[in-house]
Amino acid sequence: MTELIETAADLEPSTRKAFRRLILSIADSKRLLGIRYSDWLLGAPSIEAGIAASSLAQDEWGHARLVYSILKEFDEDPLELEHQRSSHEYCSADPLDHPFPDWAAVTAGIVVVDGALTVLLRGLGEGAHQALSGRVAKMLAEEEYHRDLGSAWFRRLADSRGEGRERLTAEVAGMLPPTLDAFFPLDTAQERLVEAGVLPASTLLRERFRDETAELLSLVGAEVPVDTEPPGDWDPVRGRGPGHPDEEAVERARGDRNRALFVE
Amino acid sequence: MPVVGPPSSSDALPAHVVSHASGGRDLWSAPLSESPKDPVSAARACLQEVLDPELPISVVDLGLVYDLSVEDGVVQVDLTFTATACPCMEFIQEDIRDRLLQERWVRDVDLRVVWDPPWTRERITEKGRRELRTLGVGV
Repeated sequence: MTELIETAADLEPSTRKAFRRLILSIADSKRLLGIRYSDWLLGAPSIEAGIAASSLAQDEWGHARLVYSILKEFDEDPLELEHQRSSHEYCSADPLDHPFPDWAAVTAGIVVVDGALTVLLRGLGEGAHQALSGRVAKMLAEEEYHRDLGSAWFRRLADSRGEGRERLTAEVAGMLPPTLDAFFPLDTAQERLVEAGVLPASTLLRERFRDETAELLSLVGAEVPVDTEPPGDWDPVRGRGPGHPDEEAVERARGDRNRALFVE
Repeated sequence: MPVVGPPSSSDALPAHVVSHASGGRDLWSAPLSESPKDPVSAARACLQEVLDPELPISVVDLGLVYDLSVEDGVVQVDLTFTATACPCMEFIQEDIRDRLLQERWVRDVDLRVVWDPPWTRERITEKGRRELRTLGVGV
């Protein structure tokens, strides 16, 4: 049986580095996802959908806060990591680099990006890192509502015959590969975390995500591939593609304009 | 002509809602005059008076207090919240701390936020359910 990890400081250096990347990948993605959802509080297809977007945004920021707090285990200032990194240092998944242009993108984001993050969290809940696995259950309970909302809108758009279906199909196709690369990377850093018992293998997590989304994604002719080579321009330090989120979103994520009012 | 002052806090509330002061502060009991024989029960009684800022039921009846212990005048409270982004986290922690520190026998308060097991509505006590139903909140 894998030994419990009480703190990331107990991990050997290369595994600790991989764990830091994982934490930042989840927390940065959740913070960015919250911003992308919040853009649709007004202007969603219905008032109810906008209110739902508000709740989703609130949840994602709550989750980001819980995950960022794990950074206290590293020999770095967690506040600096959370509030002072440049957009080029963000480890968020590529599909969150730009605002969701329409509700079809929001829907694809809930099912693909948020859905994959949830599978990753569930895997961490089975893992050996105590603080992280202890926080996962609450996050997963809140994510159930995201899944229900995402599924309902996904079916509605997929069943439509017009632009809605075309947009959803395009967004899913565009989001799926970089999301898999970001949250279920098939690289040596991730393998170290698997060996340490932090989480299950990426291929297993991809299989779970594939099984969970198969019926929905088939509505737009998409499928989750289990074995894919990391893209040639993969950034192993940040665990994502070479781009970065837009500056305005990162300013909001860091809280730049309210820095003077910051309270811990 | 009678002088009409500003409305009191209770004027703006439905009859069955007795307080909206933060954490129910206006209803808190006076501190005990001497140290209690059972500090844990005394601490729990204090928390029973601390109300959720959004709904006037106590944090104990809402099921937010997971564990309570007292040692050498230090009260340790294991506390959870209904949501990871609960907007009242700071208020609730401040209210709990202030209520306990009002007691002369409490030297310090050690608040630990816990998320496991996650809070669900099942944790609301029967008393809390009755109070919420009175307020028109279905549980």
